Amino acid sequence: MSNTLLNVEELHVHFKVYGGILKVLNDVALKVNEKEKVGLIGESGCGKTTTMRAIMRILPWNAIVPKAKIYFKGKNIMKMSDSELKKLRRGSISMIFQDPTAALNPVFKIRDQLFDIVRYTNLEVGKNLSKKETEEEAVRLLREAALPEPERILDSYPFQLSGGMRQRVCIAMALASAHDLLIADEPGTSLDVTIEDQILRLLKQIVEEKRTSIILISHALGAVKGFVDRVYVMYAGCIVESASTSDVFREPLHPYTKGLLAAVPKLTGGGVPEGIKGRVPDYMNPPIGCRFVTRCEYAMPICERKQPRMINAGNNHEVACFLYGE
Amino acid sequence: MPSENILEVINLKKYFKVSKGVIKAVDDISFTVKYGETFGLVGESGSGKSTTGHVVVGLYAPTSGKILYEGIDMSMGVERRPLNLKKKIQMVFQDPATSLNPKRTIKQIIELPLKVHGISHGDASQKVAELLQMVELPVEYMDRYPTELGGGERQMVAIARALAVNPSFIILDEPTSALDVSIQAKIINMLMRFQKEFDLSYLFITHNLSLMRNVASRVAIMYLGKIAELAPTEEFFYNPLHPYTKMLLSSIPVITDEEEAMKPKKVISTGEIPGALNVPPGCSFHPRCPERLEICDKVDPCMLEISPGHFVRCHLYNSMKV
Repeated sequence: MSNTLLNVEELHVHFKVYGGILKVLNDVALKVNEKEKVGLIGESGCGKTTTMRAIMRILPWNAIVPKAKIYFKGKNIMKMSDSELKKLRRGSISMIFQDPTAALNPVFKIRDQLFDIVRYTNLEVGKNLSKKETEEEAVRLLREAALPEPERILDSYPFQLSGGMRQRVCIAMALASAHDLLIADEPGTSLDVTIEDQILRLLKQIVEEKRTSIILISHALGAVKGFVDRVYVMYAGCIVESASTSDVFREPLHPYTKGLLAAVPKLTGGGVPEGIKGRVPDYMNPPIGCRFVTRCEYAMPICERKQPRMINAGNNHEVACFLYGE
Repeated sequence: MPSENILEVINLKKYFKVSKGVIKAVDDISFTVKYGETFGLVGESGSGKSTTGHVVVGLYAPTSGKILYEGIDMSMGVERRPLNLKKKIQMVFQDPATSLNPKRTIKQIIELPLKVHGISHGDASQKVAELLQMVELPVEYMDRYPTELGGGERQMVAIARALAVNPSFIILDEPTSALDVSIQAKIINMLMRFQKEFDLSYLFITHNLSLMRNVASRVAIMYLGKIAELAPTEEFFYNPLHPYTKMLLSSIPVITDEEEAMKPKKVISTGEIPGALNVPPGCSFHPRCPERLEICDKVDPCMLEISPGHFVRCHLYNSMKV
């Protein structure tokens, strides 16, 4: 039995906006074990990125966290001091963002941006690297991210690199400090299909070699399928289903997961499937019961009154739906 | 005998002058679109697929080459195109958030083409209401602004605007790329229904091959401004010839085992797409090609017809020409 690395329970996040409060995350719970590859799928606006930002404690200023338990290696991240957080971000968890163009500073060379990270992460473990050692380490990281000519990359500005190369630089930066957990937020979405394929293969190879855990966030279901061991499905701020990757894709249980998988056009043809009718609920006044109730074809009276809890439907396949019991 | 082609594009070129040189966005491509069909144009970013769409609709005049619509030459910019031709060809853009004017109400947005083409004078509420009902939006949306609508609903408005003037040819430039899959399915189904109802021909531009498989009757794949392969959809997916097509097909993430089984094996995606300013000599795909020959970096291959309707631009098939 492997050890739990990250354990999130009862995570609620609200946002204060003009006109009221958006109740976005609603009782999110997820677990990542050591060396595990976990996927988080869901459509835009369902709270995937917000969940990850809550874990890193980098939510925007207007976010309110009424309730949260986030344990990393048994320590509550929500109660960490600034210096502990710094240590966490420099030594344990790291994040790769969706858009590498926005994640890199346009006015500094890659050298300056990468050197800082290498220096400070090493200071954190008590190693004071000389300039030469820093450079060697930076070159090593860029090589690890499969970048050709790392010396030339170091002397480039972000705009001199292509999108795929920029994302590789971001991966190199994340690798410098991600010793336990890597969070990849749609790492290939802003890239072309052939390049996305390269990036995902590289990431998978790296986490398997370094035995790091990873949370891969994506709305591209196919990309997640070929990558992770276990999948969480999110809808409108709630986790609705969690199971091993093969179970979710072969036998989805939640009506939303079923609808989502059916809506993807297949390479084998067969016409374009029907989508899911209706639209995502308003976060200002979300339904009291199940948040999917307005779009669900199996909706029952109880679904409108009560929030479904995650129940085990056998074989560690968990689903939050009254169809499978209360 | 009347031609079966509603649109013919012949040796079309569109170059852009920039400070560092000339970008050959579209470089000598030819294709035809038949009446009532959906012709798919796929490619990665920068391949020139959107530029092709823009030239056909008239947003740019072509650098050289011809565009024939029902046999009529319209290889000029939109400002010199006759109004009745403009009416026949409409376009739906990728991002409805930017293609709809945020300061106009939905009614004003849909009304504009009606006024321009003299279809309705004065109050067009009736016609706008009909159009909204057609795309299954509530009539009350008439007085709302685009920002009050969801992404999918906005795209429906854009489609209603395109349909307002009874066109016969619509260019769909990544109409669902900015949307989620559950909404994408609904919009695509609606477009397919309209195609049958109103006898429309579509030029469907997308980078999503799985979607293309399900909507198009013929597919052309573009790489750096040129068409690499053109074939009927079934042929294209079950018997891909060009190494780039194979690479692209093998890179698509899929969700079922049956799909996994039909992907070409062992064509691993390598290399980067070169910039449009320094297109490699010879075949522009040669630096990434796993099946490269000696000739490939010297001579640009010609389009060859391998089997009826299946064209490929690759030296590997030089001996197979029919």
